[in-house]
Amino acid sequence: MRKILPFFFALGCASLVSAQTTPAFSFNGEAREDLTPVGGVKMKQPGPRRPDYPRFDQKNLAATFDGKGAHLVVKDTGENSVFDFKNSDAITLEAWVKPDGLRKGENAYVIGKGRDDPKSATPSNQNWALRLRVLYDTACLNFLFATPSVKGIQWHRWTTPTGFANDGRWHHVAVRYEFGKPESIGGWIDGIEIKGSWDMDGPTTDAPVVDDAPVWIGSSMGGLANSSFRGAIDDIRLHRTLVPSKEIAERFATTLPSVTKAEIAQVGASPNAGNDSASGVKTAKAPVVIRKAPKVDWTTVTHGQVRVELCEDWKPTANIWPEKALTVTDSYAAPAFGFARVPEKYVDTGVRDERGHPYLLRALATVKLPAGKHRLLLRGRGASALFIDGNLQVQTPFPPAGTDNKPIKDQDSFLDLGGDFRFAPPGNREAWVEFESKGGEHRISLESVVGFIFNTKGARRRPELGETIAAISLAGRTDWQLLTPSAESPNYNDAGWTAYAAEEENRLGKIDAAARAAARARQGDYWQKRREAAQQWLAQTPETPVPALAANFPANNPIDHFIAQKVVAYQGQVKAVKTGGVDFYAKVFPIFEANCLECHQGGKPKGKLHLDTRAGALKGGKSEGAAIVPGDTVKSPLLTRVRSNDPDEVMPPKSHRLTATDIATIEQWIKEGAVWPDYRTLPTTFNPLTEDLVFLRRVTLDTIGVPPSLAEIVAFTADASSDKRAKTIDRLLHDPRAADHWTGYWQDVLAENPNILNPTLNNSGPFRWWIYESLADHKPLDLMVTELLRLKGAAAAGGPAGFGIASQNDVPMAAKATIVTTAFLGMETKCARCHDAPAHTAKQEQVFALAALLATKAVKVPLTSSVSMAKLREGGRKPLIEVTLEPGASVEPHWPFPELSTESVADELALDPKDPRDRLATLVTAPQNERFAQVMANRLWARLMGRGLVEQPWDWERSKNSHPELLRWLGRELVRSGYDADHVLRLILNSHAYQRATEPTLRQTSPLFASPAPRRLSAEQVVDSMFATTGKPFRTEEASLDIDSIREQANSVTLGQPRRAWMLTSTSNERDRPALALPRIQAVCDVLAAFGWRASRPDPVTDRESAANSLQPAILSNGTMGTWVTRLSDDHGVTAMALEAKSSDALTDALFLRLLSRHPTAAEQKKYSGYLGEGFAGRLLTSSSKAVAFPRKPDYYVSWSNHLNDRATTVRMQQEAAARRGDPPTNQLQDEWRRRAEDVVWALVNSPEFLYN
Amino acid sequence: MDRRSFLTALGLAPFAASPLLASSGAAGVKGKAEHCIFIWLGGGMSQADTFDPKVLGDNKSTTKKRGSLYPSIETSVSGVRLSEHLPRTAKLMEHVTAVRSVNHKVIDEHAFATNLVHTGRMISGNAIYPSIGSMIAHRRGAADPSVPAYMLIGYPNVSRGPGFLGIKDGYIYLVDTETGPNGFTTPSDVDPAQKIRRQELLDALGGTAPEGSALAEYAQAQHEAFRLAGPSFMRHFDLKKEAADTRLSYGGEFGQRCLLARRLIQGGVRFVEVSHNLNFINGAGWDAHNEAIDNQHILIHELDHALAGLIEDLKRTGMLDKTLVVIATEFGRPPEFDAKGGRGHQGTAFSMILAGGGLKHCGAYGLTDDFSKTVVKDPVSIPDFHATILAAMQVDTSKDLMAGGRPVPITDGGKPIAKLF
Repeated sequence: MRKILPFFFALGCASLVSAQTTPAFSFNGEAREDLTPVGGVKMKQPGPRRPDYPRFDQKNLAATFDGKGAHLVVKDTGENSVFDFKNSDAITLEAWVKPDGLRKGENAYVIGKGRDDPKSATPSNQNWALRLRVLYDTACLNFLFATPSVKGIQWHRWTTPTGFANDGRWHHVAVRYEFGKPESIGGWIDGIEIKGSWDMDGPTTDAPVVDDAPVWIGSSMGGLANSSFRGAIDDIRLHRTLVPSKEIAERFATTLPSVTKAEIAQVGASPNAGNDSASGVKTAKAPVVIRKAPKVDWTTVTHGQVRVELCEDWKPTANIWPEKALTVTDSYAAPAFGFARVPEKYVDTGVRDERGHPYLLRALATVKLPAGKHRLLLRGRGASALFIDGNLQVQTPFPPAGTDNKPIKDQDSFLDLGGDFRFAPPGNREAWVEFESKGGEHRISLESVVGFIFNTKGARRRPELGETIAAISLAGRTDWQLLTPSAESPNYNDAGWTAYAAEEENRLGKIDAAARAAARARQGDYWQKRREAAQQWLAQTPETPVPALAANFPANNPIDHFIAQKVVAYQGQVKAVKTGGVDFYAKVFPIFEANCLECHQGGKPKGKLHLDTRAGALKGGKSEGAAIVPGDTVKSPLLTRVRSNDPDEVMPPKSHRLTATDIATIEQWIKEGAVWPDYRTLPTTFNPLTEDLVFLRRVTLDTIGVPPSLAEIVAFTADASSDKRAKTIDRLLHDPRAADHWTGYWQDVLAENPNILNPTLNNSGPFRWWIYESLADHKPLDLMVTELLRLKGAAAAGGPAGFGIASQNDVPMAAKATIVTTAFLGMETKCARCHDAPAHTAKQEQVFALAALLATKAVKVPLTSSVSMAKLREGGRKPLIEVTLEPGASVEPHWPFPELSTESVADELALDPKDPRDRLATLVTAPQNERFAQVMANRLWARLMGRGLVEQPWDWERSKNSHPELLRWLGRELVRSGYDADHVLRLILNSHAYQRATEPTLRQTSPLFASPAPRRLSAEQVVDSMFATTGKPFRTEEASLDIDSIREQANSVTLGQPRRAWMLTSTSNERDRPALALPRIQAVCDVLAAFGWRASRPDPVTDRESAANSLQPAILSNGTMGTWVTRLSDDHGVTAMALEAKSSDALTDALFLRLLSRHPTAAEQKKYSGYLGEGFAGRLLTSSSKAVAFPRKPDYYVSWSNHLNDRATTVRMQQEAAARRGDPPTNQLQDEWRRRAEDVVWALVNSPEFLYN
Repeated sequence: MDRRSFLTALGLAPFAASPLLASSGAAGVKGKAEHCIFIWLGGGMSQADTFDPKVLGDNKSTTKKRGSLYPSIETSVSGVRLSEHLPRTAKLMEHVTAVRSVNHKVIDEHAFATNLVHTGRMISGNAIYPSIGSMIAHRRGAADPSVPAYMLIGYPNVSRGPGFLGIKDGYIYLVDTETGPNGFTTPSDVDPAQKIRRQELLDALGGTAPEGSALAEYAQAQHEAFRLAGPSFMRHFDLKKEAADTRLSYGGEFGQRCLLARRLIQGGVRFVEVSHNLNFINGAGWDAHNEAIDNQHILIHELDHALAGLIEDLKRTGMLDKTLVVIATEFGRPPEFDAKGGRGHQGTAFSMILAGGGLKHCGAYGLTDDFSKTVVKDPVSIPDFHATILAAMQVDTSKDLMAGGRPVPITDGGKPIAKLF
């Protein structure tokens, strides 16, 4: 209970007026019985204090209110109490307030009498109230009372059109009024008088409602959230006089820098006449916040460079400029005042993290300017300010609060400063000013607050720079350059910026790579220890000897020895098969496959009977010994079972019996001795090595994902050295594009599944960036997997933490456990998510144990991840699946696969043996777990050779290992090389087996790897190759539905500007809104999807569908992307070739080389060159006058913020039509001939040959 | 080898029936529909303002009153009333059943609920489930093997896709009736003579691939694609072939989509999803929060016009009994109003519509409380609704789909609405 203290206990620090009649609430720790807290009120919270607010002491306390109805009640003492006001009574109300975020439309009660109980007989008994009314994003002052009238209750509301911003500061607010005299009203914010106006029922001379209702502080109307104050209040005073203006003005004092421009703007009448809601508030403006010049240490600034400082430890709780000097947490050098992004931040071993945001970016440089009056332009996505020699020149405001109904017509007004002026991209604010220089050096600093706060609970926008720049147009000129301290000024027009941004991206990429390398080096000791432990393990375990090369077999390296050995062994087997009998693979095995293998193969066959191998069938199951007795049709239980009429006996179960013909076939086969070779008839003769150009195309596609360029073809052809293939392989393994090629593969295997709009449907974070960087850095595979399983970095930034997310999934970590087993352990555990797998050994408990390791705590099995055994048993027969974990069971973290590696390995080798994730990472990746190295080697093998040594790299249990010795040898090579994937790739690519000519009729490479089968390009390769070979730039929209970054970070990611197919993702138009379509991205996704790419990847996949279907040729020949790569626009690669070509013969040859990596045959040359020859001589157009449309204007854009606007749909549909139309054809080529050239390009990219390797 | 098995053997199954799985002898109830037109109202149709009208509310006064926004009218089925903005449909209700007791538990996220209503399942990290269109395409193939089984007039997304069934059971899509199907409409700047010259150039390349090779298979698929891009398939998209009266009876762009859907099923397409996504009419389409509700009646009118046009047309052409028309939406909307008089989301009780398809229609099925807030009689889960569509389409719901080697029940324990069969 609170103790009694004198009621009129005036406290505070300023002088008092009429102290004896001034109720005051200072909240300074004294408990008061007259104040009854209700709901989320917290006392003893920090109030305004010295030195920022010198009128208060350093320990001053305040009260906070939760904004959900929390309030303090002060009882009225009855008639004529000190709280009752009648006509001609004077009132002055004042308070110190610090709202915790402002929400448009709120009417936050600071204090008021009456209107506390909406259910009472007199719900509108407002005697007086001081409120903050949030218009736009500004807290406006508001005074409110009610009067009874013949029409009923009338509301008299006085509001200021402007107020203070959501700046996280304390503000002093005051109103005064003499009842009955409407003109007596006055209001003050921070000591400055603000004009306001009466709205709703207007001014009145009538008397207010007076009764014995209580006074409430912090809320009203029974605790309505919209009427509640959220934040801190201190030092409330109620005077029964009109306190003089001067005294009110003096009440406010702060040492903090001024935040308002001169004074708070005076706008006309209150804009929101009408009801008590937020309508009609558009004219209210947030005050412009002036940035004062910061103190800068210029000694750190190197001449000729821009020094960029980032201050991330600032952690503001509102959108404000920093008030005090900030610690610089990072800095780097830049060439000019042009920023599209800052270097990435890396933690741990070099995984992406997010910078604390909002953060302050400050760019400093000494820039030499000629004398004259120049124009300066400043642009930024966050609030930005530009200073010259310590003086503010120009600034841009904070971004507006979020909206989802911004009109498109806003885009009709835009800044155009003439010439080839670059228009501001979406989501940037800008300002310009004139600046007169006397000539010479100036100290220039640009500041920008990057990121934007929605509320104090941590909701923020993405910390994007958009296009934060400072540019200058020198006196007497119309063009613009970026401000720079260096001699060369980058042009700031569209082309100039594109070039500059690309160069910057390249430079920042190197800075990022260096930062990752440095981070990795910090844990170098640990990884050195792991390397040594691996070498030790290798020394202690038996090697797999490389067999001697069998006679007459070709070999480039040990791989070929293993392959030859296997072929020889197979040839021996084939000799044992008699001719003339039942062909097992043609007649018998298909019956087994269709009817028996579903249950009788893998690690957990029914009745422990394997029918997938001869050995298994001869060994038999648990009930009746051998299933097949060769030569004996009576004693073979398999025959008895398929013939049986007993429903408990008959096989297969579930009423689909074998046909009489099938049974007769099996009988005959058994009678003949049940001959069952390891493989069907397999080719054992090897094709010779491929021709050089075929090799070059194959190896280039297999390493970097696109065919060789013309230059690469020419160089390779010219190279006469005997080791040119090996040199090419080395070159390609180090080509930066290799990371692009492999990223798509791991996105599928690891189920990377981000969504650009709202996380739904098992979305993960965009950890594609981590995959890509890991590959670009050639990370050892054990390190890469360790990083993934440690889940460090920031999910939003693309760190492995994003792997840990599975939105709308009942047990995210169980989903991840399945990915881990399939990706790294070759164990299929999908079924075991909800029940013990019927055809695999995996138990649900094992999946949940892994999930618990990832979660670093016990994980419960929810009802939704379970099946009811009772329901399963309904049928009668024993159910196929078992459930051994009850719903609700809790599984502790532990390693569930002791057969692969033992917990002691983690004790010994884990970075932190106490950390469950470190343990997991070690148990998966350590060499003791031989499975891991072999699974990884097998994955690399399968992708290059078109078939795994273990055919299904994700499921070893249900596929054969054709070359166990080779795979073990490769696994050990991987370990020996320090888990260097390139080492294994190099071995495979250099092998004769890889370099052999394809056998065109083969549908799949045979398990003997005699000759490769043609492989269809992956979806990503198809798309990337189309752009790479034609030279048409890959140009889509930014992969985002929030390009002006208005939405909360948690609901909208951007996947940036795609340059390769792997960077795309679903356009996520589940809402089916035309305005949310991304037509160019969709056009590429359509191609990708037809070739087996998944726009959405909720589950892991290793092998995609690769069968031909007619959607594929359809989308290539008639689709939008097909139009782009075919149309000879100015930026098309073939346009340049066509302009320079010496003859149609030469052009034909070059086109074949470029698109198909080969020369045309004589017949092809004749047909194509003949076709291009018509009109060839006259193909060039002399007049190349390019029409430039005037007046220039920026294209309309659509983003989430404006997509509900009706014009947004029109704009998008126009964009869609433009995408479908494609870029205009070049006007440098005669139309008729250009069409011929396009026909040739069309035919070459649409040829089946283009798609196969 | 007949044409059907020829195509199937080539893996061209988007355009072929799957003979192995063609349904016969379905267990349990079985309907007689051969085609399905699945109309999708993205955003969430307000049941109280359309097919499940209740007492009139008030969304604009200071004291808002929950309830329907529009008065209701009588229909051709006694005792069944509809919103006054569905006057043409009201006269045809003997061919319609408004299933008023559909319910699920997903509310806050459109994509999530859209996925649920299309696939009949909650998401899992272990499989991408196929959409209702893909399931039907998979089980029944196209009625005419020379056309696709499943077409979509709307935007592509994973919820509408084939999931684990694979590309062959996916859709061919078009975003509006003008552009034609993606991949089959020849680009506007390519004239017919040029098209022929292009193919001649293509044919002159590299000789013939060996029979049975992957390249030969792709070449075959290419021939099939070129055939589809030709008049035998593309003629279905030419709405100008319809009588002016017929076109008018369907109304605007959405109506024309429904007309196109009818032409497509007439041409042998098994399943057509038609999206009613013209959100510029009121901003948010059926997702009528806040002011978006002010023009909601225009959307309802448009739906009424097209739906009635479609039913009348199917009736006239004798196809109504063979064609199941479904109106689906991700969730409904509550009887209460938001700050600006619009409505939020409600999954606990909402309406989806069945028409034609040889079902025994009764105007309305299932009962909600006085404000259509909770189901009080004959609840229909999403799996039940799926089972009803599948059964009406003669698909045996007792047979599992296969996800790789894993059997997955075709619905998550759904039971068809027995009364309709």
